[in-house]
Amino acid sequence: MQISYSLHVALQSIWREKWINLLTVLAVATSLLIVSLMYFVFYNTESLAGKLPERFSISVYLKDGLSQQDVQELTAQIKKRGDVADVKYIAKEQALEELKKSVADIGTVLEGLQDNPLSSSLDIKLKQEFVSVSSVREISEALKALPGVDSVYNGEKIADTIAQLKHAVTTVGLAVFGLIAFGVVFIIYSSVKNLFYRKREDVEILKLLGASSAFIRLPFLMEGGTIGLVGGALGMLGAYGCYYLLVMQLGALLPFVSLLVFPHEIAVALPLGGLCFGVVGALVAIGRIRFS
Amino acid sequence: MIEFKNVAKYYDGQSVLRNINIKVEKGEMVFVTGHSGAGKTTLLKLIYAEEMPDEGEITIGTFHFPIMKEREIPALRRSIGIVFQDFKLKNDLTVFENVALPLQIRGMKDKEIKPLVTEALRKVHLRHKIEVFPKTLSGGEQQRIVIARAIVANPLVVLADEPTGNLDEEIAHDIISIFHEIHLQGTTVVIATHFQDMYRRTGSRVIRLDTGNIIGEEVG
Repeated sequence: MQISYSLHVALQSIWREKWINLLTVLAVATSLLIVSLMYFVFYNTESLAGKLPERFSISVYLKDGLSQQDVQELTAQIKKRGDVADVKYIAKEQALEELKKSVADIGTVLEGLQDNPLSSSLDIKLKQEFVSVSSVREISEALKALPGVDSVYNGEKIADTIAQLKHAVTTVGLAVFGLIAFGVVFIIYSSVKNLFYRKREDVEILKLLGASSAFIRLPFLMEGGTIGLVGGALGMLGAYGCYYLLVMQLGALLPFVSLLVFPHEIAVALPLGGLCFGVVGALVAIGRIRFS
Repeated sequence: MIEFKNVAKYYDGQSVLRNINIKVEKGEMVFVTGHSGAGKTTLLKLIYAEEMPDEGEITIGTFHFPIMKEREIPALRRSIGIVFQDFKLKNDLTVFENVALPLQIRGMKDKEIKPLVTEALRKVHLRHKIEVFPKTLSGGEQQRIVIARAIVANPLVVLADEPTGNLDEEIAHDIISIFHEIHLQGTTVVIATHFQDMYRRTGSRVIRLDTGNIIGEEVG
């Protein structure tokens, strides 16, 4: 019964102060929208970094004049390594064909070639746990020392850039999240503190009638929670709106935009986060209730 | 039911109650009288723990100062019905909701609350005002709502601080008769008043206070 009473009191109070509460809700919604957009960037960077090990390969260019047996021996030797998942031989003719396909639009560039300038190569996929900047560097050095190997291209810089980007996004994301979480709690704290002050006579009456601190607190917690929940829900709708606007407006111009994924967990996390921040803000605002 | 032993209370070093010894038995009706500033309101506040004694001991049923902890105060107050001098009604609630408040605080269900509130309002002759807001009522009617709120949960003790303070004589007599009815139903009643008609010819005990001291006891 106490819950239905408290909910009634909380909703009544929200309605009475609807304009102030609307502003509070919008401030919470905007803050949580920023959090969700930060998470969107973080999620996609994580996703990109996560896909890197699957796509990552080291190209080992072979010296000219190696016999088929030399190549087979070299391939077998590399396959024996504990950090290698797969080795694929690409003959120089196949490499030229692939190059011609990839530059089909400007095909005339290759028309004057008499000889094939490309080398045969081995495309080496690493086991996922070994795709890190330091491992790739070590493995490349070892491969370079093998007989018959001319040079090694390892994409170390790409891995390094993505790792740095991931680190930067995580750090900035956490900092922004912390600041905004504090801001949301503070917004709701101020709103409930103000309300608690305006209702101090009502609170006094409740105390004198024998209400427990839980009975006095619950409507304020529900009010804070509701403001946070509605703010979170609006923030979530705003985040979806921004995403669809981004994809629809920029998708045609920038193809990579359509590859961006919207993290749907935001649909639950944002209202729930708003609710939690609201309750925490209200709890801090009310503080300890004294009876004497 | 209520016992004060050598109780003293000070505000800013000034004594407002000194060496108070009172015993009120269960079912008794007691009046505390005296001029303004005699300490009547402070004495009542000590009973419902809005104030704590600086000296002495107070026992209210099973609650005992100064041993009692702050978290036990709500339970003490739930065993007491209080009629405040300044009413302390919630103006954003209807008469029904105001009277229902002590029952909501006790966690009762709506279907249990309705008959109790209706009965309490019948006792103070205000059943017909159930859906109106307190501000639209006269002082006498508001006082009767406060009495209904004080008795609705059937408390062990009813305290009233100047319950006829701002009312004209006719309404004051009406209020007096309501308290007598409450007392006749076996409730312990303590009333602080300077209105002599309230206790005259009641046969109840009257405690006289003057500048914080008990100066005498008589039968009204």
